[in-house]
Amino acid sequence: MPDPIHQFDLHRIVPINLFGWDVSFTNSAAYMVLVVVLSTGFFMIATRTRSLVPSRLQSVAEIAHDFVADMLRQNVGKEGMKYFPFVFALFIFIFMSNMLGMIPGAFTVTSHLVVTAALAAMVFLTVLVVGFARNGLRFFKLFVPSGVPWYILPLVILIEMISFLARPISHSMRLFANMLAGHITLKVFSGFVVMLLGAGIFAVLSPLSLLMVVAITALEVLVAFLQAYVFTMLTCIYLNDALHPGH
Amino acid sequence: MADPPDKQGRAPGEMTPEELARFERRVSELGNKLGKVKAGRNADAEADRDAEMRGRGMAYGLRMAMDLVAAVFVGGLIGWGLDWVLGTRPWLLLLFFLLGFAAGILNVMRTYQQMQREFAARTGGNIGHRVPDDD
Repeated sequence: MPDPIHQFDLHRIVPINLFGWDVSFTNSAAYMVLVVVLSTGFFMIATRTRSLVPSRLQSVAEIAHDFVADMLRQNVGKEGMKYFPFVFALFIFIFMSNMLGMIPGAFTVTSHLVVTAALAAMVFLTVLVVGFARNGLRFFKLFVPSGVPWYILPLVILIEMISFLARPISHSMRLFANMLAGHITLKVFSGFVVMLLGAGIFAVLSPLSLLMVVAITALEVLVAFLQAYVFTMLTCIYLNDALHPGH
Repeated sequence: MADPPDKQGRAPGEMTPEELARFERRVSELGNKLGKVKAGRNADAEADRDAEMRGRGMAYGLRMAMDLVAAVFVGGLIGWGLDWVLGTRPWLLLLFFLLGFAAGILNVMRTYQQMQREFAARTGGNIGHRVPDDD
């Protein structure tokens, strides 16, 4: 059976050692660079003409822009548009990584917890910095829901704080777990196709497995988009908390 | 220059009764065909939307599961850390484990509210397949 975990292996392309830390350029880093180059290149080409009647490429770029912009406006409001570049970059990066990972043989950057955790930590820190910068100590109102009797307030504040601290964990785990699980499932079912073919009479089941692979691939494409969407959506919701604390 | 009137003395472009009947039949046939194509397209659109809503529902479901687990985990971690610092093992771990569970439920409820809002906005209140009414 082919090893379903093998596809997530990291290997050094350019070994770099910085002050005793291993910061080698790995295949993961290479794919991240590829993602950035591809998406930057795409948007540069798509927005080159900037015509009033958009070409096909330009309308794809416009749809992507409006998609994220609408999400920000709905969840954060007009002042959220200040953070549009950050949110848009996040969305495109995750979306492109997920989609690139769907190409057979490609490496999925977002299937590593370090990467998604770094993204989630970035969002979490942004929320903290923006929240305290804009609201000062009033940011703590986030933990004090209104209309709660004083005698259970300490309990509620504790619960709210835990819920707040759990955010970056669920934020990063979700994307990572979805991508990891999806790719393992795909690999396992593809493995079945080959294994069943070599298993005598059971070879008749092989096409079934192949059919599953096709179906799961379609599902995975959907998941790749949805997880990028969910990650961005949550970023918007957290940003909203930073701008308007107090429920 | 106008065409001369034909043998029956009709103006050019005017149709005989037979022609008119044939023409109307063709129009109604075309209308039927168009109606079928439109109905098919609507069904396709509905199936597409249904699949999309299913996908979103699944994303929300996984998200809720993750919300719950993450909060319990963080609660337990905080309790464990405090126990370690204060030497009160295992009491704070137990307490914060429960608080984490409460926080998880809170997260799930918030996610659910958000899901309701989004789905209601997207579908106008009717979610999933249209089921014929028994009444």
